[in-house]
Amino acid sequence: MKLRSGIFFAGVSLVAMVLAGIGASKANDSVVKAASDPNGWAIAGHDYGNTRFSPLKQINSENAGKLQLVYSLSLASLRSNESSPLVIGKTLFVSTSWGPKYVYAIDAATGARKWTWQPDIPDDVLQYACCDVNNRGVSYADGKIFVGRLDGKLTALDAESGKELWTSTVVDYKQGSVITSPPLIVRDKVITGFGGGEYGVRGSLQAFSLKDGKLLWQTFTVPAPGEPGSDTWKGDTGLHGGGAAWLVGSYDAKTDTVYWGTSNPGPWNTAVRSTGDGNFGKLTNLYTASTLAIDPNTGKIKWHIQGTPADAWDYDGVNELLLADLKIKGAETPVLMKADRNGFFFVANRETGKVISAEKYVFANWAKKWDVNTMRAEEDPDKRPGPGHPAKDICPNLIGGKNWQPMSFNPQTGLVYIPSNNVCMDWSVSDVNYKRGVFYLGAEFPTKPGPGGFLGELVAWDPIANKKVWSIKEDLPFNGGTLTTGGNLVFSGNLHGDFRAIDAKNGKVLWSKNLGSGIGAGPVTYSVDGKQYVAIVVGRTAALPAFLGDIGKKMVAAAPEGGSLFVFALQ
Amino acid sequence: MSVSCIARNELRTPSRNTRLEHAIRTVLLSALLMVPALAAGADETKPPLRLCADPTNLPFSSDDPGKPGLYLEIGQAVAQKLGRTVSTNWYKSYFGKRTVRETLLSKQCDAMIGLPLIDDFMGAAVIFSKPIAHEGYALVGGKDRKLAGIDDLRGLRVAVQYQSTPQNLLALRDDIRKVTVLSPEEGMTALEQGKVDIAFIWAPVAGWLNKTSYGDKYQIVPTEGDGLLWATAIGFAKASGALRDEVDGVLPSLQPEISALFAKYGVPNGAPVKFGEADRATTSSVGASEPVTVGQVAAAEKPVQTAATAGDAKGDAKGDATAGREVFNGTCAHCHGPDAVQAERKIDLRLLKKRYADDMESTFWKTVHDGRPAKGMPAWKDVFNDDELRNVYVYLQSVQDTGGSN
Repeated sequence: MKLRSGIFFAGVSLVAMVLAGIGASKANDSVVKAASDPNGWAIAGHDYGNTRFSPLKQINSENAGKLQLVYSLSLASLRSNESSPLVIGKTLFVSTSWGPKYVYAIDAATGARKWTWQPDIPDDVLQYACCDVNNRGVSYADGKIFVGRLDGKLTALDAESGKELWTSTVVDYKQGSVITSPPLIVRDKVITGFGGGEYGVRGSLQAFSLKDGKLLWQTFTVPAPGEPGSDTWKGDTGLHGGGAAWLVGSYDAKTDTVYWGTSNPGPWNTAVRSTGDGNFGKLTNLYTASTLAIDPNTGKIKWHIQGTPADAWDYDGVNELLLADLKIKGAETPVLMKADRNGFFFVANRETGKVISAEKYVFANWAKKWDVNTMRAEEDPDKRPGPGHPAKDICPNLIGGKNWQPMSFNPQTGLVYIPSNNVCMDWSVSDVNYKRGVFYLGAEFPTKPGPGGFLGELVAWDPIANKKVWSIKEDLPFNGGTLTTGGNLVFSGNLHGDFRAIDAKNGKVLWSKNLGSGIGAGPVTYSVDGKQYVAIVVGRTAALPAFLGDIGKKMVAAAPEGGSLFVFALQ
Repeated sequence: MSVSCIARNELRTPSRNTRLEHAIRTVLLSALLMVPALAAGADETKPPLRLCADPTNLPFSSDDPGKPGLYLEIGQAVAQKLGRTVSTNWYKSYFGKRTVRETLLSKQCDAMIGLPLIDDFMGAAVIFSKPIAHEGYALVGGKDRKLAGIDDLRGLRVAVQYQSTPQNLLALRDDIRKVTVLSPEEGMTALEQGKVDIAFIWAPVAGWLNKTSYGDKYQIVPTEGDGLLWATAIGFAKASGALRDEVDGVLPSLQPEISALFAKYGVPNGAPVKFGEADRATTSSVGASEPVTVGQVAAAEKPVQTAATAGDAKGDAKGDATAGREVFNGTCAHCHGPDAVQAERKIDLRLLKKRYADDMESTFWKTVHDGRPAKGMPAWKDVFNDDELRNVYVYLQSVQDTGGSN
């Protein structure tokens, strides 16, 4: 853990805090109202900008050592519990894994249950979900709760009663497409994507009517032959090109723009869809591994930033876009930030799409640098696997410098708190697999530890100076998301189940409690009747370690499977 | 990976308590139950050979007793030689190695038929029998087409499966127009609709469809080369070496029967065209391979009767809901509630349609025939005949909960 001097904090303004309030009439009034209530937690990422910053400061770096358990709720569903609870008024909404198996509404101060909703999820969903039976939370608007489901459906519930209002089918889960993340609500639209980039789907975002679940628009993230951008694919391969938008979106009311990341292209063999080597020219496979800016009225793509052109490493570009206003070179700049799986931290002007900086935030060797002028990485040709060209010791590995676990941004410290991974891989297109009666060529990617003797690291990142300010090293990858508060705190759990309150300025661990199962979810905080609470869902992943060999075994051994909500406060 | 979706999870060594519970439950339930229980007790000297198989993966395996599939029939033949019956654990094999891990390697079954015989398939965890066949990709096209080498595809539209060896192989051939399909079924459809000239797809499924859906209209030319053809075998968990040796002991005497089964399902299992090393193979294989391959396929298909697929007992008749309700309320209602009214969701049969959708009927037949012993559901196939069970199904269809969805 490194300490730092506090000097450059001065360069950062506080305007990120008020993002949620901008252009209220343009977003969804009920969401804006809920998100601007400093006592609540209205969106999985706290606000439309996914900052996961709460101004609450009753719990702060002076008193965090006195945190005590207030209540706990068994989620009655084990493994891959990744939900960020919502708190609207005095009610906390939390979803579980396996479908979700349940959505609970509870009294946020006491844990007393108000209602439980249990959807009928088909028994066979596990067989179609590539990366476990996870669910990352629900969304709220206009007195309704919206739930994306593993069986490819989207359901609206009455927030008061838990009664099901409508259910629409987004995608056929039997093509390997599941929904694991909460939708984004803008005005009268519920916008969601789905997973399945590896299995030959063509990614899309779809908007449904908040009122009745009718489909309003669908935008494919990969152009069909003849459409603009289709010349970045060989032949018809774009039609099965992946680009699934399976994580969460963000929204900027000022320019009325939705932002969403897209997954890697498919298939893995780059020669099928591109040139098979680094001289891919215009065969970049748009709009995969990208950030998309979208008009929520029509679904039209306004512009894009492709972080990994012609991806050959499974570097999904899905990681959340965190919106903030930063003072860069003296000018207040509206930015979006993404800790990309490819190891580069992107800062771009969210109104123009111009990339301001893209610097390594973890050890990454597939590219020497990412050139903001050419919008291309300067790749190391040895590290790009292709047909007849296996590559060794590529960093990061396919889980990325950061995976789905959310980062947070504290406008008071000016730092982004990133749960990062330090894992590398070899890659060869040689493995024979067995799939529904078909042996087919897959890819083999043995996992190796990154340099430095640690596998994960909670990084406090200065997005203006582009440097690490402090960090906490972890012996395992895939640790929990972060929350940061006006009380100069960062909250974060790890795969051992240690849940910690950390000084946001210097990284000092002020309080730690083991919660019995690994933590992936991001914590949330809220206040009821003048008392501040911190809530965290625990229950580690079970399917992901299967991709990671010996490291995966350690991840499984670190803690049992679990499924609980824990809520803490000062006593 | 301890959790799985196995439909039937047999307990091999029940504790005294579970035995007691079982005895009590048996007494409480209808006396009709005693019939299968006694029958099962009679031949318990050798436990059944438990196979893991995909219920919806023809021509390999299916939970339709009329069309059990190539692998299941091979398994039945092997078990018969060993003096054992067969029981099946169904698991959809959508994700390859994960399927093996969660079934075979989680001790849910004793064997899986048709795994690729490759040393490092799953490391040391999986061991294999002697090879039972060769399977791979084939060129499918009109019988008048010359399909002797890769250059015969020049200028043509060729269906290739997503993320398959043929897709990789043709990736760098700009003179061949690839059309991506997600499955061999989609490839055959594209061929039939004239969207492609040739389909370069998974041979077993192509052969099966050619036989059952396309009236043997196409020639199927198996190919050979890196990643195009594999030896397949029966896979076992590492600890099952003795069983593997036993199976190896009976396999030689079963070869004629296995070959006949390949033919029955239209699955090519013979001399392929050398195809992987595209340019070298072309000249040498012209002429020689075509008659060989065509003859092979034609010969293989002769013994097969399409009538074999018509033995689907439950497909035709309509069923009688009133009679079904009588049976239901007399027997099933003990657990599932009178008129199927039941508050415990897991056994609320009014949710079958919601839960299983298109699979409702197949799930019904599988469950009533074989039961779910681990969950307390007995097997009814020796108690009621299929006509009576069909009536129950028709009755259940009339009580399905349909609310709440668009």
